[in-house]
Amino acid sequence: MADISGLTPGRTVLMQGNEAIARGALEAGVSFAAAYPGNPSSEILQTLADSAEGAGIYAEWSTNEKVALEAAAAASYCGLRAMASMKQNGVNVAQDFICNLTISGSGPGGLVLVTCDDPGAISSTNEEDARFIAKLADLPLLEPSTPAEALAMMKFAFDLSEDIENLVVVRAISRLSHTRSGVVPGELAVGRPRPAWDPKRVITTIPAVPRHQVMKDKLAEAGGLMAAGPFNSYGGPDNPELLIIASGSSVLYAAEAIDILGVGRRVGLLKLGCTWPLDEKLLRKHLAATERVLFAEEVDPFIEDHVKSLYAQHAPELGIKRFYGKASGHTPAIGELSPGRLAAAVSEVLELGHQAVDPGYLERAVQSAGAMAAPREVGFCPGCPHRASYWAMKQVLAVDGRAGLVSGDIGCYTMGVLSTGFNRVNSVHCMGSGLGISSGLGKLGRFGFDQPVISVVGDSTFFHAALPGIVNARWNQADYLLVVLDNSATAMTGFQPHPGTGQLASGQAGAQVDIEQVCRSLGLDCRVADPYDLAATSDALYDALQQKGLRVLILRRVCALVQGRSGGHPYRMEIDPELCRGDACGCHRFCSRVFKCPGLVFDQALGQAVIDEVTCVGCGVCAQICPAGAIKALAKDQEAAA
Amino acid sequence: MKELAREPLDLVITGVGGQGNVLASQVLGRALLDQGYQVTVGETYGLSQRGGAVMSQVRVTRRGVLGPLIAENQATAIISLEPMEALRVLPTYGHPEVVVLTNDRPLQPLGVIAGQAEYPQPPKLRAAIEELCGRLYWLPATEEAMKLGAPILANVIMLGALAASGLLPIGAPEIEAALAEMFPDEKMAANRQALAVGQELVA
Amino acid sequence: MSTGQARSAAQEPPPTVLQRLLDEVITPGLCVACGTCLGLCPHLVFFDGQVAAPDACDLEQGRCYDLCPQVAGAGQGPREHEGVLGPVRAIHWARATAGELDGRVQYGGVVSALAALALEEGLVGEAVLTAAGARGAPAGVRVSDREGVLAAAGSIYAAAGTLRELNQALAEAADHSLLVVGLPCQARGAAKMAGHPDYPAAGRRLGMVIGLFCTMNLSARGLRAVLAEAGVEPPVLRADFPPPPAGVFQVTTAAGLSEIPLEKVYDAVLPGCKTCGDLTAETADLSVGAAEGEAGLNTVIVRTARGQELLERAVAAGVLELRRPAAASLEHLKEAAAGKRARAAAGEVDHG
Repeated sequence: MADISGLTPGRTVLMQGNEAIARGALEAGVSFAAAYPGNPSSEILQTLADSAEGAGIYAEWSTNEKVALEAAAAASYCGLRAMASMKQNGVNVAQDFICNLTISGSGPGGLVLVTCDDPGAISSTNEEDARFIAKLADLPLLEPSTPAEALAMMKFAFDLSEDIENLVVVRAISRLSHTRSGVVPGELAVGRPRPAWDPKRVITTIPAVPRHQVMKDKLAEAGGLMAAGPFNSYGGPDNPELLIIASGSSVLYAAEAIDILGVGRRVGLLKLGCTWPLDEKLLRKHLAATERVLFAEEVDPFIEDHVKSLYAQHAPELGIKRFYGKASGHTPAIGELSPGRLAAAVSEVLELGHQAVDPGYLERAVQSAGAMAAPREVGFCPGCPHRASYWAMKQVLAVDGRAGLVSGDIGCYTMGVLSTGFNRVNSVHCMGSGLGISSGLGKLGRFGFDQPVISVVGDSTFFHAALPGIVNARWNQADYLLVVLDNSATAMTGFQPHPGTGQLASGQAGAQVDIEQVCRSLGLDCRVADPYDLAATSDALYDALQQKGLRVLILRRVCALVQGRSGGHPYRMEIDPELCRGDACGCHRFCSRVFKCPGLVFDQALGQAVIDEVTCVGCGVCAQICPAGAIKALAKDQEAAA
Repeated sequence: MKELAREPLDLVITGVGGQGNVLASQVLGRALLDQGYQVTVGETYGLSQRGGAVMSQVRVTRRGVLGPLIAENQATAIISLEPMEALRVLPTYGHPEVVVLTNDRPLQPLGVIAGQAEYPQPPKLRAAIEELCGRLYWLPATEEAMKLGAPILANVIMLGALAASGLLPIGAPEIEAALAEMFPDEKMAANRQALAVGQELVA
Repeated sequence: MSTGQARSAAQEPPPTVLQRLLDEVITPGLCVACGTCLGLCPHLVFFDGQVAAPDACDLEQGRCYDLCPQVAGAGQGPREHEGVLGPVRAIHWARATAGELDGRVQYGGVVSALAALALEEGLVGEAVLTAAGARGAPAGVRVSDREGVLAAAGSIYAAAGTLRELNQALAEAADHSLLVVGLPCQARGAAKMAGHPDYPAAGRRLGMVIGLFCTMNLSARGLRAVLAEAGVEPPVLRADFPPPPAGVFQVTTAAGLSEIPLEKVYDAVLPGCKTCGDLTAETADLSVGAAEGEAGLNTVIVRTARGQELLERAVAAGVLELRRPAAASLEHLKEAAAGKRARAAAGEVDHG
């Protein structure tokens, strides 16, 4: 990321959606920004943190999304504009606060929540549509289509929040957050109030029912302000044969589909930037002008269902309509949309018989790629300490022989469910849930459950959501081994710092919170091992697994990518062709077939394992698994000296 | 502002996580924006450094704003940092006239490393791609990058090759200027060399 | 219906060699951790007395399965034609003469004396024995001189995976002959190694197998649990099941001798031992065990010419003294051997 506080107003720059959201916040005069990292949202806060000094704002990585929004709300109560950004899963974490905040209302400073959803689950464990939080909590919802619009919407959102004194939700998706296009920055806001909270002012949800009415009134007011805004628009004929109602990136896909099909005179496009509450007047007007409606939105039928509901109210005056979308199967109920998918939907509705490419070509391409392009499964990076940790876990659970389980959690190490982690992880859900599941498994002994349980958690997740689960297990004396996979970074989302690293979002030093001390303060036996040392790690894991009760083993080794940026790894790996047994190795090229590091491949022509010098980082772990001692870890510094 | 070879000019940049494909798309996007074109760069990442297939899309137009996704089977060119990845995207973005520029250096997927799948023989892979495109540039980008001392420079070499292919409305000097905006001076000598090598590969 | 079944049968790949070993021996709990399959390939691992295969192998044939003495039909059943003690050339009582063995060895110290002599006289270049390993669990050890033999002296009753060391020694580019001391299961494993067509090194270099009498063996973890319950502090220096009617398991630790009632030990017995009918290590060159009623003496069964040669050299060198065994004691040994065969046979019926 970069400091965007110094951009020249009026000069077009190529800006990522997330950067545009950050810029919009700065232009709106945000003072306080907090977030927990999570793709596709992470760059928003990082950009604000990098711009904090230049713009004179405060930006922090919080321990989780709920804390982030609560901290931001405090600033709002004291009169400062504030925001919290998160991915869709984070909205769930913050939801309890959101559903109460909406009743108490925000403060005199505008308060904005940005959720970055992930249709297609490009970097997520789900593709949840977080727009439903707007309906659930009666909050205004804005959906930008382009980075430029995202910038404008952020400014609008802060104004709107102050107008109605409630939280406003801006919903981006991966294809906006991670898209760059030309954005024209405006002026940064100048001046901000001195924050203060009148001690006579009580901000609360009580009495809840009358305040619930206040909340409804605020939403109605927001609806009016949004309808008057610039974010809903229509393009197309007055009485289109087909009306497409679209939001977010789907607006652009729909426009392109109309273009591809050449049906601009037949099809109209109603772009909705304000998707909750819906502009009923606008929708009634456009429904009246057409007989067929196609919805283009991601992921769930949020607009579709509400428009249908609105239509049901007004059917007598609107007449019979046909609706196309997720319910009719014209657009997919899961995953992303695309220009081609919408072109296919429009073609089907209008019976155009459109084909994007000659079917013969498509058939040949599909066949060729299917036959030759082997799947490219994601895996741990070369040198990743998690590969070594899971290797040791796999070995130890096998020799332990009691059908041990591994409860997974969220981070790079989630990939323990894949072959890169030897498929050793038995369950993964959301941040911290592995600990709760282990807590439950650890109490089943009285019913005859005798499988040992390992719960893995990353260092960042440890602080985000693991602590209540750990305390619960300690309190209720659940029986499991907690393994903290400490790679000293929030690696999956881009190496953000966390309490364990002690570094702040600004890059400056904060107070470090030591995982070991936390565990020991809970009265837990806590050991540390280095996963790169397979034998020592296996010993530590095995011994810990034989113990009873909650006990902790920290497998600590910095993320290989972080190491790569800070001096690299100590070895140059080499395979001794005299010693490598190739296909005849013990049981059939164990190193590449089982260990599966991208840096160690099998050369078919040579009939031996070889180090891919472009990929291998030189961590030295594979030298420990070769039964023939053929893989050599040569110390780089000694080589340099020689 | 020059006419585009195609309107819109749609480039798929694909490869494997860690090859610098997102960076290549940003450089290209900046260079084109600096020349006054409307540019949309769509990036797919999140697991990008974890060995999976990664794709960016650079869309260029002289008209309005384009969406982040190239319409199916409408790419102008496919620039691939890994040969198997070029083939992988052809069913989605290819058509008989598409131009393909690919690095010839295979990166084995985990399944191939594990012996569960096979990496196609390079001549077979090349023939399959050739059959599905209008023009193919099969380029030893990684090999050349290693000669320059850093395999990661394969992405800049591919940009040099793209500049020399005549597909872009801009040339190597504009790409170099965009690189200079993003890299410190001490890295620019290697980048310039890589651009030059890429151009020679196509010339 | 039948076509469908035929198709699915045709599509299913044959089970891998490792899968067969798992299905037939390890998963049913019949593995006795003898170590025959260890050290041949990286798939089979040994840790704290347990043999396991963490990953799938994709080979159809392999020595791990072929050599396993616990695979059904591998010789643990009765072999009536050879008599209840197996092949016998001679049976002696014996004891080692060297005073330095006193107190460090089992009974008469014959095994240590024979192993040390074989090394000293150059009959073999290396011996594979069992010594204390990590976590108090015994493990194989390779020694090449008298001191090494003495350091490993004494029986440790727990699964030790000893033959892993033998396989590793055989994998090295060397020519010297090897001696191995093992339990009946290990003697069977060693015999299979020496006779396997794909294991020429074993046939060429395995020079001497000294078998130990064995009624049953304990799992490493089981032994640890037994000791913990009995309040005996590891490490165990020596352990023994004295012949009936003792009814105890004897362990010697730094704190001295402890006797644990047999019924406290049964849960720790390796289930695989219950299918073994071989009390006296019938496939060894020499088999050595307790001499009933004669503390300080061993019973030695000479089974092969090379076993006889080693014993004769030991006597000639003055390392061993031989005595004629008492007839009643031999009868008891035969009864015990027959009893183990019968129990194993019954156990197999039970398993069937």
